[in-house]
Amino acid sequence: MTDPDTGVVITGVGVVAGRCCGVDALDAVLQSSTPLAAPVESHSPYHRPGAAQLGVVASDLDLSAWLSPSASRRMGRPSRFAAAAARMALIDAGDVAFDAPTTPVVMSTAFGAVEATEQLLRVAHHEGPAAVSPFGFTESVANAPAAHVAIALGAHGPNVTIAQREAGVLTAVGRGAREIASGRARCAVVGCAEEMPPILHAFLDRFDALARAGDGVAEAARPFDRRRNGFIAAEGAAVLLLEAEPAARARGARIRARIRGFSSAFDPTAARIGWGHGHGALAGAVTRMLDRSATGRDRIARIVSGASGAVEGDRLEAQVLHALWHDAALPPVLAPKGHTGEYGGGFLAAAVLGAMQRTAGATAGFAEVDPRLGITPHGGGPLPPPDVTLVSSLASGGAASWLLLETA
Amino acid sequence: MVTGIGAVTPAGWGVEPFAAALRSGRTRIGGFSRFDHAAQRTHVAGQVPPEPAALSRLRGWHQLSNTDRFAVGAALEACHQAGLPWPLATPDAAVFFASSTGGLFETEAFVQTLIAPDGRAGRRRLLASYSLSAPGEAIARRLGVTGPVETVSSACAASALAIDQALRAIRRGEVEIAVTGGSDCLCLTTYSGFNALRAVDDRPCRPFRADRAGLSLGEGAAVLVLESLDHAEARGATPLAELMGAGASCDASHMTAPTPDGSWAAEAMRRALDDAGLDSSAIDFLNAHGTATPLNDAAESAAIGLVFGDRASSIPVEATKGVVGHLLGAAGAVEAVATLVSLGASTLHPTPAGGVLDPVLDVDVVVGAPRAVEALDTAMSANLGFGGANAAVILRRWSAA
Repeated sequence: MTDPDTGVVITGVGVVAGRCCGVDALDAVLQSSTPLAAPVESHSPYHRPGAAQLGVVASDLDLSAWLSPSASRRMGRPSRFAAAAARMALIDAGDVAFDAPTTPVVMSTAFGAVEATEQLLRVAHHEGPAAVSPFGFTESVANAPAAHVAIALGAHGPNVTIAQREAGVLTAVGRGAREIASGRARCAVVGCAEEMPPILHAFLDRFDALARAGDGVAEAARPFDRRRNGFIAAEGAAVLLLEAEPAARARGARIRARIRGFSSAFDPTAARIGWGHGHGALAGAVTRMLDRSATGRDRIARIVSGASGAVEGDRLEAQVLHALWHDAALPPVLAPKGHTGEYGGGFLAAAVLGAMQRTAGATAGFAEVDPRLGITPHGGGPLPPPDVTLVSSLASGGAASWLLLETA
Repeated sequence: MVTGIGAVTPAGWGVEPFAAALRSGRTRIGGFSRFDHAAQRTHVAGQVPPEPAALSRLRGWHQLSNTDRFAVGAALEACHQAGLPWPLATPDAAVFFASSTGGLFETEAFVQTLIAPDGRAGRRRLLASYSLSAPGEAIARRLGVTGPVETVSSACAASALAIDQALRAIRRGEVEIAVTGGSDCLCLTTYSGFNALRAVDDRPCRPFRADRAGLSLGEGAAVLVLESLDHAEARGATPLAELMGAGASCDASHMTAPTPDGSWAAEAMRRALDDAGLDSSAIDFLNAHGTATPLNDAAESAAIGLVFGDRASSIPVEATKGVVGHLLGAAGAVEAVATLVSLGASTLHPTPAGGVLDPVLDVDVVVGAPRAVEALDTAMSANLGFGGANAAVILRRWSAA
């Protein structure tokens, strides 16, 4: 079978991740030892006493270089992040021949527009439905960021919002790439947007999903670490501009990476909130992606893992990777969610950077190997020459997706 | 190929009560009890009746949100009709699903408990289905699917877009079987929001009427089982219809209002025709989005004019939302099933009688009574959503010859 994804390249990256605007700012953070986590506003009655206190929040950012104040006023926060990141991606791509009538926008979200929904419910509850704002309602729909990206760029191709928790972000990239590979579009705008208002942060905490301080350790995301006890929740957006490779080369574009493969799968042993034990079947989905793209495992020079510090999520990720390599030594494993947190745009932009880097910073939060996982993520310093990168994102609830990125 | 269909609608659990409601020309929109709407501006919606006892006895059923239950109910019916094995534990089977609200109804109960004056702790279980991906995942878990599971949440065009994704996945050879559709539940957020937009009629909605005054919300789910022809034939399945093509576009102009000239909605229809390799003359009828808002029906009529030209005023148009309401993320799938029901019966279903068709719109809406047509072969179903998302699918009655 021929690889359906060959011939699609990433030529532009835009990202809003915590205090970072732009891929260079994020790169500097990833090379450092300091993660993006910062204190979040504690909110009664949602946060319980003793709740997690950190998050990667994008408050007080000046997005005016990419988003006019008048446009910004018409948007909720995730839409602002997405529209600004989309502008960044186009600027990053240079003089792109943006084919407005056919260009699709494929964005993902894990939770949708939570803050607008909460405000609507709060108003309806306390003041009655007559006080509900129509603007607030239009921004409460999950596809608002994708719609605003299309409006900002004038993109009239299919407008799709993927909602598949942590796996959606790579699925959005894969589906956008296939719009190009199928000939339906010459370029595509893909990515993710998320907000992390207090209510969502508190809800994640109520499910014991977030990292906590305790047992002598500070609150932090600790991917693959023995002491991990949850992730740091993040907000922001990342947008990639994808192009057909011949068109990108013809215009002399800087090609950041080629999309060599995409796959997604589901683990039906997973509970509604949690990770399952179907690592063999998930590894099989990756193997089929490698076979479709005629990529031997020996060509995978590094792995950008979606490990976030989630106790069971990192366990399943490790099991899938060991199953793929038949328990042989893994190539270097980058785990950028130690820096970027879970959700938001940081992970996707970090994955693109990770596919190109010759050196990388140490994995934030990692200090002790978990003998049950047997994975030591990159400790900082030089990496082997980049070739093919496996990007992995497993989701709570059973979904999973992967990309193969290749230097071009 | 479509080899199975399932539906859960305000008419009941199953395709048959839905088909009977469509034939009857009587609306299933009326008073409802899903939540307290005493303080709302309007008081009508299409509510799904209680589920059959056999479903409520399924393991884990009571852990599911309403949206999940509708999705699973419709999926089990569709898979049973398709004669699919259980479990579907093959990487060649996928779920491409849609939802606009997920478990929002249950989440609202949690939040309302928290923000009440006594501030009691909500039951955490109510949050467990919050995710928009929960309905598709509930189907996948029930069927044992190990292939791709992907959820589209693009407002009212979501399930038409999910069907589009499923079609492409089968054509590319990614999978052999795709369970696709959408599910949504009535909830306070959408009811209050659409009322805030003044987009809800205080009577059951009247698509394409001169005095139309807005939509009526509904709830439910619909599921289609898609397979490649080779796969269906190899296992001895009988196709119901062929999903010939799909197309999509975006207005990229406004969050809620469609482009008045219908140009980008028309583009989605044209792209579906191109994808199917058909000319508009091959379309025997259109199942319209037909929300009954003044702006939607006008823009959609304009789009029909752009696509069908001289036939625009004579091509029959079905408006399913007049019977069951607007099912949001499930609308595209429900209306695709309605389209298949009409193709199968060679009879177009009516939208309930009442009011005068808007002469400005100049479309031939089937009203009041079913319309038998001698040769119904190919149909288009179109959806226009918030954020300017447009999608259309084309279905053809299957003939082995």
